[in-house]
Amino acid sequence: MSPSGNLVDQQTVKQPSFPFNGPNAIPQTPGVPQTPGVPHTPDPFVQGQRGRYGAGGPGQGGPFPGGPQSMPGGPGPQNMPGGPRRLDGPLGPGMNGGPSSFPQGFNSFNQNNSGNAFPPPAMGMVLNPPQTPGTFQPGRPQGPGSFGGPSRMGASERKHDGPPGKDPNGKRNKKKRRVPIWARVIIGFLLFFLILGGTVYAYYQVNYASSVSHIIGQKVQLAKGEEDPNANLTGGILSGPRINILLLGSDTDQKFEGNHYIAQTDIVVTIDPASHTVGMLSIPRDFYIPVPGYGMHKLDEAYGLGGVDLSRRTIEQDFGIPINYYAWIGLDGFIKVINEVGGVDVDVIHPIDDDNYPDDTGANANDPYALKRLNIPPGPQHLDGPTALEYVRSRHADLVGDFGRSARQQEVLSALKPKLANPDIFNHLPNIAKDLQGYLKTDMELSDVLKLMNFARSLDINKINKWILGPPYSHSGTSPTGASVVIPDCAQILPLITQVLQLGNSAACNVGSSGSIAPASTALPLAYTMNYASAPAANCTNLANMSTLSSDELSGPSVDASNLLGVQGLLDLMLMGVFESPNVF
Amino acid sequence: MKCRNFSWKTPILLLLVVLSMSGCMGIGSNNGKQVATGKNGQQVTVKQDAFKGKFYLTINHNLYVLNGNNTSTDLVKTGNVYDPAVSPDGKWIAFIEKSKQYSDLDLISTSGGAVKTLRTGNGRFKYDGPFLKNTYIWYGQPAWSADGSTLLFLSDFQKEDWYADTTDAPMLDMQVYSVPFSNPAAKPVAVAYATFGDGGNRDVGYRPGHPNQIIYTHYAYDAKTETQQDIQLYMEDPTTIGQNPYKYYPGMPGGGFDPSIAITTPDKENIEPAFSPNGNAIAYVQRNANLTAMTLNIMPAPPDSITLTPNDTKTQALALQTYQTQSTQLLSEMYIEQPVWSPDGTQLAYIQYTGGTFDLWIANLTQNAKTGVYSVKGTPTQITTGGVDGESRPVWTN
Repeated sequence: MSPSGNLVDQQTVKQPSFPFNGPNAIPQTPGVPQTPGVPHTPDPFVQGQRGRYGAGGPGQGGPFPGGPQSMPGGPGPQNMPGGPRRLDGPLGPGMNGGPSSFPQGFNSFNQNNSGNAFPPPAMGMVLNPPQTPGTFQPGRPQGPGSFGGPSRMGASERKHDGPPGKDPNGKRNKKKRRVPIWARVIIGFLLFFLILGGTVYAYYQVNYASSVSHIIGQKVQLAKGEEDPNANLTGGILSGPRINILLLGSDTDQKFEGNHYIAQTDIVVTIDPASHTVGMLSIPRDFYIPVPGYGMHKLDEAYGLGGVDLSRRTIEQDFGIPINYYAWIGLDGFIKVINEVGGVDVDVIHPIDDDNYPDDTGANANDPYALKRLNIPPGPQHLDGPTALEYVRSRHADLVGDFGRSARQQEVLSALKPKLANPDIFNHLPNIAKDLQGYLKTDMELSDVLKLMNFARSLDINKINKWILGPPYSHSGTSPTGASVVIPDCAQILPLITQVLQLGNSAACNVGSSGSIAPASTALPLAYTMNYASAPAANCTNLANMSTLSSDELSGPSVDASNLLGVQGLLDLMLMGVFESPNVF
Repeated sequence: MKCRNFSWKTPILLLLVVLSMSGCMGIGSNNGKQVATGKNGQQVTVKQDAFKGKFYLTINHNLYVLNGNNTSTDLVKTGNVYDPAVSPDGKWIAFIEKSKQYSDLDLISTSGGAVKTLRTGNGRFKYDGPFLKNTYIWYGQPAWSADGSTLLFLSDFQKEDWYADTTDAPMLDMQVYSVPFSNPAAKPVAVAYATFGDGGNRDVGYRPGHPNQIIYTHYAYDAKTETQQDIQLYMEDPTTIGQNPYKYYPGMPGGGFDPSIAITTPDKENIEPAFSPNGNAIAYVQRNANLTAMTLNIMPAPPDSITLTPNDTKTQALALQTYQTQSTQLLSEMYIEQPVWSPDGTQLAYIQYTGGTFDLWIANLTQNAKTGVYSVKGTPTQITTGGVDGESRPVWTN
């Protein structure tokens, strides 16, 4: 036996896995002991099996012997009249698998199956099981009785296949009408995109849908009689006038569900789509103010008493600031995401020594007052998730305070974004979505998040204002229970929020037990008003350098690619909360 | 069956397969021996035939000795080791073990064995009136004197001592101290003061052949804006502060009074100085202006006399001259750091960011006989793959 003959036999041996040979196949010819589903051995039966390749061979009738038309009932075994029955017929010399039958050898035979000698599989063929190397593709249009076309297989094939146009029972098949090529192309394309779409949808459902659904659309309950602040935003989050988003920073999922602890960060992000400006008003968590229904408490305790609903209502009622949306961010999510991408490599530009870093993640998540000492050496190094969070979050390790912190955040962003833009990120996206689950909650929909992040991407950094309601807007004090608190100074606060949030007459400062509301004025103290445009020159240089580096590295197209499933937008929202800045792009 | 397909091509094909397989399996290859597993699970390999002597360094913050004779081993595998320093007699390694709130200054024999803690930074949180304070201490970057009698190290152990001279806040910035190796529990002597608020001092080391001179990186904000970082190399007589109690003190940017003298200008950020074995040249790292690259440089040592009158303006100008006029750039990379000289001074090892990891490289040096200027001879050789700790100083010994 020639080598090519051996190969042909080997590939035919694999054919019993072909479903056409199922239990309901047309009865086998006596003497052909094929067992459905059981592989055949390379013995004399092999030659008979080869007959099944003539799926549309003689007796199949129509011009597409192996195509859908010849299998009107689908690709099931019952509808494959070809095959074993042809064992009845005498084997022509070409069916011995000898060199004369396949003069071009196994490889050319193989190419015939998948190459240009055959047109693309017709629609019905897509559903067929994968063919083993060297197997035939049924449904070739070469004509009745053809294996691979006369030029390849020779006349011996036709001899073997028996009389054309008849099945073994001698009945002539109905002649099928040929489907035009253009129609088959269109059908093929439609089917391709249908399958592709289905696959993507299934992939999204399996890997993302559950995680994303636990992040977005987490609506708050409005108080009785409270108007929906988003009633006018029929065209989406940025379709109306100024909106305010409450950023609540905390650490673990336990702090969002069930037994609430505190919100360690309360920031109102105010966005004016018309002027394309963003401001961030940071309210000290120790503000001692009335919490609706609970009397005087610290602001962070409002979250503990009633979660997002009560935090939102407290700010609305005490300061007259309408809250359109909220986003709650747990810091452990940032740690998980950084770890998921394998950490970040950065050049720590100066040592970080902090004696009072909040140790409120991981095992200490339930202790908001735990402290940790930081000692991060300078120089280029690899940062894991916890260390990266420490590096971007430490407030006490920089003489220049928030500006130094912003520079560090930009540095980590510059290292993180290329990782998120790398095509390899697709392998990590499901895990990143899971990492965010439980550490990011918002009442925005995914489309809102994406619009918001696209808007933030286009911001001029010099138009991002930041206000912290520390001194002179407040001063330290003691509550009746002796707790250390921060007392708001309404005379200073009201003019500020009136102006920067454009609250008009709705601005309030209901911070005392008397519930008195101080009148607004137009004077605006400048202390603790930080505008990046007026940042110290030297530090601006650093920031500008960092920003340049960042934007250069972010310009790759795959940033958008990783946002296909909205994960990038959610990540940006998380970073905005962790960094307490919209400058995360 | 006729074996007509067997031809001369077959053994060649088999040979190629074998070669490729052996390459994959590291058989017969000099490309590296696996010594550890990296941070993200990757293999860390060492090209052991590419250097002479031993490197002591950390991988995943475990202490390793990479030996040019192909016997690399791990000495401490606690995962929290930083900055090993080998004693001049080659018997001991001083190193730092870092915990959550503090660090210890430890010692181990170069042949391994038990770890001895020379100084512990352990402490506790406590209330001082309404303020929560703590007694934890950081130690960092030990360095030996040439005779092995003195250990320099960084610490914040005087953090509560300088309220009057700072801003009513603890002095967290690391300063340089010394203890006698014979009595490491003794009260440390202040050697080099920090400036409040921007990180203090780093990368301290003695100048070979000059027991009364040390070098280090000094971090501070400039006096004018108090926002721009001045990161400079300084030299100093390590005995001056101890011999003149109450004369010198740390302080705010532009303030303070100490016996240090800058040997680089503040317009560029220069870090991680390393004296050559003969003490005549200094390798150091410089960040470029827009923080997008770092360079490895060598400059001649400034005149010996500069540490005698460090507060004299003429001396201060003299101390900058070699940097300003004779400094040479050797290499430039995105990240390059931790230069260390070979024991014979003919090579320079450093850590470079390569393919997503920080790895050890070696450059051969050549020095112009007339000008004394150093340059790199040939192409640097990558010694490790898979990543070592970039933030931890390596040591190169015989």
